[in-house]
Amino acid sequence: MEGMFYNVTGGYVEGIVRGYRNTLLTGQNYGNLTQCETIDDIKLQLGPAYGDYLASLPPNPSTSSLADKTLDKLVAEFRYVQANATGSLSKFLDYLTYAYMIDNVALLITGTLHERDTRELLERCHPLGWFETLPVLCVATNIEELYNSVLIETPLAPYFKGSLSHQDLDELNIEIIRNTLYKNYLEDFHRFVNEEPGIRGTPTQEVMSEALEFEADRRSINITLNSFGTELSKQERRKLYPNFGRLHPEGTLMLSRAEDAEGVRIAVDGVSDYRDMMDQTGMSGGNSGGGLGNQSGGVGGDTEGKSLEDMFYEREMQIAKMSFTFQFTHAIVYAWVKLREQEIRNITWIAECIAQNQKDRIGNYISVF
Amino acid sequence: MSSGAGREAVFPTRQSLGAMKSKLKGAQIGHDLLKRKSEALTKRFREITKRIDDAKRKMGRVMQIAAFSLAEVTYAVGNSSIGYQITESVKQAKFRVKTRQENVSGVFLPQFESWRVEGVSSDFGMTGLGKGGQQVQKCRETYTRAVETLVELASLQTAFVILDEVIKVVNRRVNAIEHVIIPRTENTIKYINSELDELDREEFFRLKKVKGVKERAKAEEDAERSKKARRESDKENEQNGEGKNVLGDEGDEDVIF
Repeated sequence: MEGMFYNVTGGYVEGIVRGYRNTLLTGQNYGNLTQCETIDDIKLQLGPAYGDYLASLPPNPSTSSLADKTLDKLVAEFRYVQANATGSLSKFLDYLTYAYMIDNVALLITGTLHERDTRELLERCHPLGWFETLPVLCVATNIEELYNSVLIETPLAPYFKGSLSHQDLDELNIEIIRNTLYKNYLEDFHRFVNEEPGIRGTPTQEVMSEALEFEADRRSINITLNSFGTELSKQERRKLYPNFGRLHPEGTLMLSRAEDAEGVRIAVDGVSDYRDMMDQTGMSGGNSGGGLGNQSGGVGGDTEGKSLEDMFYEREMQIAKMSFTFQFTHAIVYAWVKLREQEIRNITWIAECIAQNQKDRIGNYISVF
Repeated sequence: MSSGAGREAVFPTRQSLGAMKSKLKGAQIGHDLLKRKSEALTKRFREITKRIDDAKRKMGRVMQIAAFSLAEVTYAVGNSSIGYQITESVKQAKFRVKTRQENVSGVFLPQFESWRVEGVSSDFGMTGLGKGGQQVQKCRETYTRAVETLVELASLQTAFVILDEVIKVVNRRVNAIEHVIIPRTENTIKYINSELDELDREEFFRLKKVKGVKERAKAEEDAERSKKARRESDKENEQNGEGKNVLGDEGDEDVIF
């Protein structure tokens, strides 16, 4: 019923995105890529999918320039989708870009804090997180000015408001700022998909809730694991956990008290998906060293030695893949962007393996289709 | 002369012979010492070459792993600005290098030692808190190992270059002493000896000559004298024959008392 009028506003975009999804690299393509001997071969193999974007690359390009070009394609397509979006979809797409904006703003704050010429940093910013007032951030020379007159004008202002003062910007570690912003962003996004009139009650709410809850849990677990051995106190750590998700509230409370990987495992015990992940990475056995490695086997091969991070990526890809089984939803745009990002990472990974002649680890990409 | 068989410009005197002889002796001792030094250095040099070979292979492996772990970080974090964040958040170096000197047969070789400052906590420990933090830490570990290898290699390489230079200098000296100074000194000694012998012979010959001349002069004198004596006696005989004063006191002056 809710899909009846979806096509009036979002039909075109959905069609386009489904088309984009079909151009994503398949297992067959990845198989061909792993057989390549040089970056040029990869370029050739990527020809059908990326064509024009790779044409301007010099012979034997670096992996980073290859990644930049593949990103360019994602950005161009996203811009096109964005240009054609209306209503709640347009708002939804804006939300997608906020995640990248947070990265960019954090980058510029780092630059301002260290009194660097932030203009140079603009080139390093993620193009998806570009917004009109971003260059204005460069005008500010000190952090107070940045906070009072510039950050307020950015789309991220609500996320700063209430949780971060300008003293915080100066004193807190940039990572804490970034994660605080990200937490606020995730909560806001979650609120948006659950309460926005155009989205509530549609498949979008269902799919996006699952995706965002996973994202929130993933962040909570990652922050906990990564904070071991750093000066991040448990109190501060707790503030970085998003206030929703499958782990919330009992899981996050336990996470905030966890002191080692074992504690994390106990905290996620209530959610079978995460418990399985922890078990597979061998973290439950107190062998946290095994969790550090990237995946060693191919996808679907043995799971021995896969890191939690890899498991999370795989899970994220699964959620994204499942999103395409729904129709009349904004979530496929989210899924498509995530899939595309993974694809770029895969290409970079394969190119890196080939460039560094480490063929034995080349199978560590995550092929979705 | 190509073999350095020239000789030094000295006057062939006994004094300079003595000086030359002590010089030769000094040169031989110096040659022995330098030869030994060169051997010691060469031994060390070989050892270092071997260690450099090992270190370079190790470096190749470690750098590969390190570069690869960076690729893992890029994969896990998913954007390329991570490097900037890390370089910006670091305030002081944790990994430092100090040098000390090692003395190998009088050659000072700098040795680099790496050490970690304990007080400096990991400033970027929270980088990638949201995702990829573990990879960042792992990458940091591998790069620390890579830098350790580089430091080790650097001290070996410096020692290699310095030793190479020193060995060349020492060998040049050894060769110079062996092939130039010693033969030349020997030649000089030989020359002085031969000159001295020559002088001796000349002196002897001269003495002989002088003696000959003297003998001849003496003989002549003797002959003259005997001739004169004969003539005088003849004359006497003549005078006597002319009725000379028998008393033979014509020439005597008057004695005045």
